[in-house]
Amino acid sequence: MILYDYVLSASCYKVRLMAALLGTPLTLRAVNFHPGREHKSPEMLALNPKGTLPILTDGDTVLTDSADILRHLTADHPEWRSTDDDRWLAFASALNASLGLARLHDVIGYDADIDKARAAGVAALRTLEAHLTEQRFDGLIFLTGSKPTIADIACFPNIALAPDGGVSLDPYPSVRLWMRAIRSLPGFIEMPGIHRLHELAHPV
Amino acid sequence: MNAAIDNHWYPVAMISGIDAPRETLLLGKKISLGRDGGACWVKDATGTELPTVERFGHLWTSPGQPNRDLFTIPEADSPGRRLVDVGSVKVKCSPLRAVENFLDIAHFPFVHTDILGAEPHTEVDRYDVKIREEVDEVWATKVKFYQPQAAKSAAGGITTEYMYRVPAPTCSVLYKTCPPRPGEWDIITLFVQPLTDEWCEVWPWMALYDDDSTMSEMVSFQQLIFMQDRSILENQLPRKLPLDPGMEVPTQADMTSVAYRRWLKKIGYTYGAQLVAA
Amino acid sequence: MDWIAVGLKEDVPPGFVIPSRIADTELAVWCSPSGTYHAWSDRCPHRGMRLSHGFVRGETLACIYHGWQYNEAGSCHYIPAHPKLTPPDTICVPTYRCIEAGGVIWVSLTETDTPLPALGGRRTVRSLPVSMSAPDLAAHFGAAGFTTIAVVSDHDVLLAVQPCTDGECMIHALAAPDADRSAVSHWLEDLRATLERVPA
Ligand SMILES: N[C@@H](CCC(=O)N[C@@H](CS)C(=O)NCC(=O)O)C(=O)O
Ligand code: FES
Repeated sequence: MILYDYVLSASCYKVRLMAALLGTPLTLRAVNFHPGREHKSPEMLALNPKGTLPILTDGDTVLTDSADILRHLTADHPEWRSTDDDRWLAFASALNASLGLARLHDVIGYDADIDKARAAGVAALRTLEAHLTEQRFDGLIFLTGSKPTIADIACFPNIALAPDGGVSLDPYPSVRLWMRAIRSLPGFIEMPGIHRLHELAHPV
Repeated sequence: MNAAIDNHWYPVAMISGIDAPRETLLLGKKISLGRDGGACWVKDATGTELPTVERFGHLWTSPGQPNRDLFTIPEADSPGRRLVDVGSVKVKCSPLRAVENFLDIAHFPFVHTDILGAEPHTEVDRYDVKIREEVDEVWATKVKFYQPQAAKSAAGGITTEYMYRVPAPTCSVLYKTCPPRPGEWDIITLFVQPLTDEWCEVWPWMALYDDDSTMSEMVSFQQLIFMQDRSILENQLPRKLPLDPGMEVPTQADMTSVAYRRWLKKIGYTYGAQLVAA
Repeated sequence: MDWIAVGLKEDVPPGFVIPSRIADTELAVWCSPSGTYHAWSDRCPHRGMRLSHGFVRGETLACIYHGWQYNEAGSCHYIPAHPKLTPPDTICVPTYRCIEAGGVIWVSLTETDTPLPALGGRRTVRSLPVSMSAPDLAAHFGAAGFTTIAVVSDHDVLLAVQPCTDGECMIHALAAPDADRSAVSHWLEDLRATLERVPA
């Protein structure tokens, strides 16, 4: 499988992270999204007329939406699926227009109504915090239960990267515990803006 | 007007990225820039043209009267190098904090884990630092550090040697062991545009010997590294760089940063600096 | 201002560090593996990095930037760039009084003899941010102060209020031990919606 990838993209990171957690090898093709706008080049548009990343090719199959790609990667991994996933995959996609947009604005100067994007991001964080708090009352740490599913992986990147767009994660304790649980999963990989858990390595 | 601040050259755009005219900030003031046919122009808020230089793939300007030419990097002209336009990233920190972080190697194991450094290889050996009075630049040489993946072109862990050069208050040039060509140096720069004293746009640029990686891979690698730094830079307190000793505690590993701060003070470069009185 | 709630015990398990604040004083609040809570100035003496971004390793808090480790007294005891060096005692982080009681993490920025607020046997429910200053919130309930505010309600709710900024506070909510926490959580969301509805 080939992932047309941009290293700073939250959506591409969903795919890299899911594959890493599954132990599924991916061939990465770096796309110069910024500053090169290579995702709008004729070659990339031929693959994905929408001109967005990520793009995953698996033989003749071409997938251009991160939610579809997560479903594809876990097609034979029912343990990563739950009947509640769809709601959270939609929630995750909507984050591109709030926290994701605020981040692109603050980091690489995308045009945005930044106050509106951040306010929508805060509203999303409050929704997530309320849900995760309810889960914790039932002794559950992940979005759909006691184990992570594609719902968690889809939501994690834009949430964890919220500070890049000027949205603080400080006031959300349940979100913080959830992020920590994801970062502790075997096989977890980081991306810039999300630090590795250094806690356990090399005690002195 | 403060000549010690205004009379420097500042990067304001990547030349290949200039299409329509646009506005940006320099030292807290609005400027506009664009291109007429071949030549790029920059104007201040009153419409007065500012001086320009096109070099290292970037457009440079100055709000004052620079008393010397923009620095050069002669090594970058040698044949066989690939010149990499990395693009810009905006950061909410003092431009001086961005430069100082670039001069620091002790953070590699913690911030660029498994790429530019890794525990337990955290020790920083003594190196040489001096302010070269004849050129008025800060130089650090014989800087050595163990790196798991020093560059896109590095196959595995190596001890990398570095030289750091600060040729202008908001710019730094790094010369680094080049994995495919022992004896040559890769060149990695950090050109910082001070938008304000607590907000900057950072334009990394590279001149590398690397015949294997695609341009996109080299751009990705450098963006990855810089974005790891960004999450540090936005969380240092205060946002401005303290120039007077006392507020922060340097060790021997920080000799370059100490020299940089001392040099800024000597030349009166206080934009983005926190002085005791402030 | 004596004791202020800065978080709930179950939100900061052993090995965790979180950012917090009391008005303009920014804090790194952490729990050592052995279960002791600490509240420190959120600034590493080395290069000013926020310690709340750091990590707990053994009974120390380490800074994420260059890995300097601080022992439970706030003194730097290890500098990775100079592993053989014994850091001078002068490198230390300002620390504050911090005690966990009744499931709440309490901090006092000054030395104090004031006893910890009484919680009346309630148990913690959750913390949530409210876009309103702590004094305005106290005024809304007609309370003399905001350290704790008992609210006449079905669930016998007690709010411990943490002042953050001029327009922002955190409320740490407790309720009767047999209260349905989920119901209290919804009640709190509704309360927040009411409080934040800007009067015309
Ligand atoms: N629905 C897509 C959206 C991904 C997305 O917005 N990707 C960004 C990069 S992070 C993109 O390609 N933007 C280019 C554009 O919208 O023109 C997904 O989640 O896969
Ligand atoms: S800033 Fe904390 S270790 Fe350097």
